[in-house]
Amino acid sequence: MAYSNRVEVRRVEMLEDGVQLASVFKIGDHTYVMLSDTKANKTVLSELPPTLGEEFGPLLKGVDAPAGAHLDMDPGGRVEGYGVFEFPYGPVSFGVPEAGGFKLVTYGERVIKVVPQVNFKKRGVEQASIGRSPQDALILVERSAGNFSASYSTCFLTAVEESLGLEVPSKARWTRAAAVELERIYNHLHVFGRLAEAASQNVAAAQANALKEDVLRLNSKHFGHRYLFGLSVVGGVRRELSKAECKELSNASRVIAREFSELVSYFLSSRIFLDRLQGTAKLAAADALRLGAVGPAARGSGIQWDDRLTYPIEPYEDIYVNMETDSGEDAMARTMVRVNEVESSTVVLREILDRIPGDGARAGAEGHRSRVDLPDDFSFCRVESPSGDLVQVVRLDNEGRVSGLHIRPPSLVNWLPLAKSLQGNVFTDFQFAFESFGLSFADSDR
Amino acid sequence: MIVPGLLDALLLAAMAAFGAGAVLGFASKRAAYLLGVVGSSVGAALSLIVLTSGASASVDLWQLTSTSFAQLQLSPFNSYFLLVSSLVWLGTCLYSMRYDDDYPASLSSLMLLTVLSMVVVLASGDGFTFLIGWESMTIASFFMILEGKGDREGVRNAAYLFLAFGEGSTVFIMLAFSGLFSLDGTFNFLGQGSAALAGPLGSWVFVTALIGFGLKMGLAPFHMSEWLPIAHSSAPSNASAILSSTLTLMGVYGLITVISHLGAYELWWGWLALAVGGTSALLGALFSAVSEHSKGLPAYSTIENNGMIVVAIGSYIVASYYGLTLLADFALVAALFHSLAHSLSKASLFLVNGWMSKLRGTFDLSSPNQVPGAGGRSVGVAGGFTVLSLAAVPPLAGFVSEWMILEVLFQSFRFGDLTSQIVGTLVGAVVALAAGVMVVTMTKAYGFGILRPRGKGPAGTGVEGGPASWSFAYFSALIVGTGVAAPAVFLLASDALSRTLGANPFGMFVTGLLGVPSPFVILSGSPFGGFSPTFTAIAFVLVLVCVAFAAGAFRTRPLRLGVAARRTEGWFAGRASPDERTEAYNSFAYSTPIRIMLRFLFRTKESVVNVGSVQRTVVESPEEYIVDLEVLDVFKRFYDVLARWSTWLSAVVSRKAMPGKLGLYLIYIMAAFIFVIIYVLLTLG
Amino acid sequence: MPKVWVARGLKKGVLTSRFPADRPTSAEIPESALPPSPTPGADWRAGRKECPTGAIRAEEERVDLGMCIYCRRCSSAGFSFGEGAGQESRALQAGAVADVARATRRAFRRSLHVMMIDVGSCNACNLEVLNLSNPYYDLTRLGITFTNSPKHADALIVVGALNRAMVDVLKRTYESMPEPKMVISVGACAISGGAFTGTEGFVSPVGEAVPVDVVVPGCPPTPIQVLEGLLLATGRMTKATRP
Repeated sequence: MAYSNRVEVRRVEMLEDGVQLASVFKIGDHTYVMLSDTKANKTVLSELPPTLGEEFGPLLKGVDAPAGAHLDMDPGGRVEGYGVFEFPYGPVSFGVPEAGGFKLVTYGERVIKVVPQVNFKKRGVEQASIGRSPQDALILVERSAGNFSASYSTCFLTAVEESLGLEVPSKARWTRAAAVELERIYNHLHVFGRLAEAASQNVAAAQANALKEDVLRLNSKHFGHRYLFGLSVVGGVRRELSKAECKELSNASRVIAREFSELVSYFLSSRIFLDRLQGTAKLAAADALRLGAVGPAARGSGIQWDDRLTYPIEPYEDIYVNMETDSGEDAMARTMVRVNEVESSTVVLREILDRIPGDGARAGAEGHRSRVDLPDDFSFCRVESPSGDLVQVVRLDNEGRVSGLHIRPPSLVNWLPLAKSLQGNVFTDFQFAFESFGLSFADSDR
Repeated sequence: MIVPGLLDALLLAAMAAFGAGAVLGFASKRAAYLLGVVGSSVGAALSLIVLTSGASASVDLWQLTSTSFAQLQLSPFNSYFLLVSSLVWLGTCLYSMRYDDDYPASLSSLMLLTVLSMVVVLASGDGFTFLIGWESMTIASFFMILEGKGDREGVRNAAYLFLAFGEGSTVFIMLAFSGLFSLDGTFNFLGQGSAALAGPLGSWVFVTALIGFGLKMGLAPFHMSEWLPIAHSSAPSNASAILSSTLTLMGVYGLITVISHLGAYELWWGWLALAVGGTSALLGALFSAVSEHSKGLPAYSTIENNGMIVVAIGSYIVASYYGLTLLADFALVAALFHSLAHSLSKASLFLVNGWMSKLRGTFDLSSPNQVPGAGGRSVGVAGGFTVLSLAAVPPLAGFVSEWMILEVLFQSFRFGDLTSQIVGTLVGAVVALAAGVMVVTMTKAYGFGILRPRGKGPAGTGVEGGPASWSFAYFSALIVGTGVAAPAVFLLASDALSRTLGANPFGMFVTGLLGVPSPFVILSGSPFGGFSPTFTAIAFVLVLVCVAFAAGAFRTRPLRLGVAARRTEGWFAGRASPDERTEAYNSFAYSTPIRIMLRFLFRTKESVVNVGSVQRTVVESPEEYIVDLEVLDVFKRFYDVLARWSTWLSAVVSRKAMPGKLGLYLIYIMAAFIFVIIYVLLTLG
Repeated sequence: MPKVWVARGLKKGVLTSRFPADRPTSAEIPESALPPSPTPGADWRAGRKECPTGAIRAEEERVDLGMCIYCRRCSSAGFSFGEGAGQESRALQAGAVADVARATRRAFRRSLHVMMIDVGSCNACNLEVLNLSNPYYDLTRLGITFTNSPKHADALIVVGALNRAMVDVLKRTYESMPEPKMVISVGACAISGGAFTGTEGFVSPVGEAVPVDVVVPGCPPTPIQVLEGLLLATGRMTKATRP
């Protein structure tokens, strides 16, 4: 048996051009690497070759770090010079309203090196899931990152259902995808609001936040939870959309899109706002690739990778998704990627809602892939969360309990790109850089 | 009634005390400084008597030419400057009794010799004695700087540059004096009642005097002469205090003296002084803000303050030109009062910084704190009053004088034509900006140089005690006292000074207003602004008392000072206290934003050099950075060249001509003087 | 079209909630934010089996709201959400509880400075607390403002399951606050550990590290519920005066 044409299993000795590391994980006795071949749009799986082991060390450390102590994501390199010191930021600050910190190496004002400090709130979802039934594990997984909950549960369940060989109604898969798109929309609105706040554009921030609240209320009305918790269950969804609801949601998304594009046009006429974003926190395409950036952060540097296109799970194979990229490499480019994605997401959402299949349709669990020629038996899934590629690898034991779970959150791999992009910027750009990446400590710490 | 001859005797006694101290210094430093204390006390008493009584002291030494006497005389005007200097010397000598244990004994001798020369400068009644004082002051200071510790090459360069500028200053002063000499044909032009110079000769005297004294005051573009010797030589702090606060005061004295002998001012003199003063003030403030040297910072601040004084003098000239006698006199009072406020505060800052630097073992403000908790209470308090005064916080001395200078410039709308009004307004803006920057600078000086984090220092450190503590207390009292009682200072000096300089008795600037009784309000014009430092102080105290009472009234328990508070750690975003060595915000970082914003002025170069090998890696980049942020004085490149020449030249001159051969040196002065006089007579005829 | 923010604002009209003058609407406290309540035929034992956090106490026949993560798995055992509570208001059902000393309540009646600290949340509670300042809820209209430093804070909103790496941080934050002060536990994780009870990073409920005065159950509680907790804490609303 073999994977679909989107997945390739081969032995990798070194990173070729255009190939990005997606994840490193241990399942059973072996360590595997997952790579994103951005040229061939393929996911490459391989056992971890000894030639690459060292280079993947830091990521492995980030993935495997125990809970209960924070971890420095040190990009390496020592800084010395007159007046240089480490400026500690966080873990309690309002600029980053989460438990997470940074060490900014600086001689004042100029940021020379950034060390993100993560795992202040690592709960250990992966370990805690082991031995649980998928349904119980889902409770934890969808609460790994509350604002990416739909992506997390979709990713987890797709992998689990494949392992179990469950037949899942297409309607459920399409409903999950609709939830993922709504999640993307409200998260992008959130990022936009935060950026406006950072630029002290308070009226604008209020408008963006009000729009976000509208989406949250849509979530609550149609999917039963403001943050989409508990929507999915193993083998389906708890709540199915009626035709009338689809219509209503579709219309609502049109309103959101219109309001947002109006808001954006206001923003783009504000020099103050643009000045803060343009040229701020540049992330060169080569660095984005090398350091493993994903999501809008990578697409803002021109990397062509969007799981909806490059690793399409069920509805996305049938739906046209426009990959939004920008070659600007700065905070503005990342913001514009998000802005355009809100627009394209509403289009995708409407298409999903229009074409959502009836109850009878069942998709085979094999979907587009099946078991592989690797020593260990596992299944995986990649979902494009609002902040980028989310990878989950699941192994179930004979009784159908989770015996291995690996989560590679999008935020985890985006810390080093963020650190790289901040080099040479000034303190006051920090907020814009951070918000433009849209990272969440809950996500990376899980 | 003053016994005849008493004043002369006191003057000679003060000089004798300093002289004896200079000799004794080689034997016992303590005794030398004690004599210094005695001498400056006598000097202060003498000048107070002269100021209040209006009498003069006068001692003829010997005949110079048929019309000139070498002469010591002390008029109320000179004695004002002698009073200010004596107050500074008194505190500095007290402090030195405890401070400079690790410097050679010759330092105390050189310091007292410098002081003695300054007395000669201030008390000289003729140009010749003045120049002798001026030269010996320069040379004694030169050797004092040479005693400094640190990089030998740097110290030598600094000292020789100082000497070069000093000689340059002497030459220009000779040129100015030659003009004054040509008027009456006598050297005794420093006394009163000399006729006034005008026309091209007046311009000649004014410009040469501005350059000559400006060189000593460290005015832009010669500010290098002020900060370099002090900052680079790591000269002991007591020496720095004398150099920075009283040596530059001699420049102020000289400049005002020369101007008082000029009549019919030209307008452009005023503009020139305003421009030079404004530039110096702003440059000094900015460079002070980015200085990381615990003595470089106050040295630059001296440039700023002297700039302000010259601005006041410029305003005096412009106002006089337009016949605004009231404004002109107020400007002059402002200049005089600022000299007082600055000299006291600056000497205090040097002493406090010196003390702290000694405890910390470094002059580098941004080096991590070595001794948490070091530094005693009196250093902290004196440092606090000092920086508040220099940052112009009411009602301290520094505020009163800066307020006066700004009030003068606010009134530039009274100037007779548009150009002067614009010049006055622009300079006003520049001075206000400089004053603003000084707030940042002084916050830095206190926060990083004096204030230490709470903690346990090594036992024994920071217990200053004895003379040093007295000195800190003495300066604090003077800074607060001269500020709060500024009207009293005016009244004290009023008659004596106005007789020499002004058209109006200065007492008229103090009055009563809006319920504040006379003479507690300082009026800056009629009608314009008014300020009462005394009542501001009273109001401050009242507010504090009210707050204390209110706090007590609303408490369930009676208020007990010092007991009630619950102490917690500082807030570091949830972390434990930062590591002082690696995580504390340092003074360099504090002023880096200014370096980056004003890169065109500071020639800031930021470079991150990658030295480690870079491998193609996925997430880790083992790179090594060496960070360098360099700040250059714009004029430094020019001075570097100049310094090389002057080092060579001065070395030749000093080795061949100066030491041990006083006669030769006198001949050099005489020859130069005569040459200049002949030159001027020929050219101006 | 000229881009005039004011015109846009006027066009949108007033969005702000009528709470606390009026009852919260179903959009403000949706079904998903209401706790489970047993219908007449509810099976407590089956409910306890389904419940992932042990919030359903079969022996005492009650639901511990501090533990409930609102996952609705107990609906299969006959528990309902938002129904069956009869005429009781939604706010009352949500179950925020305050136990604040009278003197403290009085001190903060008109002005309250609030700081939020995250000690291990999934970010949902953080977002809901931040949402309080959006135009729909507009916290400042009630004299409540957010502050960034515990030195300025009167009340500390704690969100998340207390993580081992954050225990000292939380204690330091609490220590730094001036007296009088209060702590508000927001969300099941802060109150009891919620879904994360038993994970590697979880230490204890927040109440065991610092004294908690107010609890706001939910997973996450909606902004209105958090707001209600704040109003209860300051004594501006009591159980009796809940709209």
